[in-house]
Amino acid sequence: MKLKTLRRWNNAVHRDIGYLAIGLTIIYALSGIILNHFKSGDFVHPDYGKKYENFQVSLPSDGIINKAYALNILNQVGEEDHFKSYVTGNGYLQIFFEKGSVYVDLSNGNAQLEKKSPRYLLKEFNLLHYNNIKSWFTWFSDVYAVALILLAITGLFILRGKNGILGRGAWLTAAGIIIPAIILLIYA
Amino acid sequence: MTKHLIPFLFIVLIFTFSCNVNNNNTANETADTALLLVATFDTAAPYYVEKPVWIEGTVTHTCKHGGKRMFIADGNDSIMVEITTGPDIVKFDDGLAGSRVHILGTVKEERIDDKYLNEWEAEILKPEESHETGLHSGAKGHEDQPNDSKLEQIKSLREQLKSSGKDHLSFFSVEAISFQEIPPVNTDINVKNK
Repeated sequence: MKLKTLRRWNNAVHRDIGYLAIGLTIIYALSGIILNHFKSGDFVHPDYGKKYENFQVSLPSDGIINKAYALNILNQVGEEDHFKSYVTGNGYLQIFFEKGSVYVDLSNGNAQLEKKSPRYLLKEFNLLHYNNIKSWFTWFSDVYAVALILLAITGLFILRGKNGILGRGAWLTAAGIIIPAIILLIYA
Repeated sequence: MTKHLIPFLFIVLIFTFSCNVNNNNTANETADTALLLVATFDTAAPYYVEKPVWIEGTVTHTCKHGGKRMFIADGNDSIMVEITTGPDIVKFDDGLAGSRVHILGTVKEERIDDKYLNEWEAEILKPEESHETGLHSGAKGHEDQPNDSKLEQIKSLREQLKSSGKDHLSFFSVEAISFQEIPPVNTDINVKNK
């Protein structure tokens, strides 16, 4: 096959796969940023933003933990209308409301309010990134991964001359390989 | 026109599937499916391994690493039952925390022996630990346990294994086939703060 024809095919494949892959690439990239920071401890939860507030509650004078006591605590944080349930444990009480919970240490009255806000769209993106769907999506994302490899390889040959793979492209490609290799050598 | 539409429709389909995955499949109820109680799950579960059961409880915790497991309790956390996602359930959303759920699932037994404990210990000591290994207790903060704590847990399990006189310990969970949120029951029993 002539070089000219090969180049045309290369560019056409790169163009069309590029268009097809843009949606999933943005999904995986945005979700990847969130999951990256979640794994490094910057976020408590990848799907929900969470805010915490410590406060003090009075322990029940009669020592009885019940719904009324739980509602009284939620009233302190303005969430009594959003009560869901409560669970008691060994020395603690956890009260759930629509968008969070309150954890109460029953030995000293220390309480922690957790309020969560869904990261809409991002939590759906995370679902794909974690491959929660499994079954057919595993193969679908394998096809996407192969498409990305094709995108990367065809991208090497788009340009010619001093900006192509034999010019500056060679240096940038080498840097793109050497940097992760050094990181792996250090940490793996 | 068609060749421009097809890739666009493809991308729309991706978004549609990602947002409309059914997390709440309708259960296939069978007359002879047993209903287990959280309070007596540990004693009843051995008789239902690999069998379908119903179970109900309040969600106390969902796994933040992909939502693949959750824990349910009934009033208090003295017994918490681990529920894992089956093939037809995508994830347990953190928004389920505090909700009462009715679950159809299959009882699963996890056997902990020396080999399991050795592999779990080796995983903990790796720089990037897999969240699929090891036992999950469902207690507050268990996902953020430091390594020392996990190694202590393994040590405790080894002691339990030794004193049991058996070659394995059994831990039971339910792999969910389907679930639905239900209105909370009146669990307003007065609990004495000790």
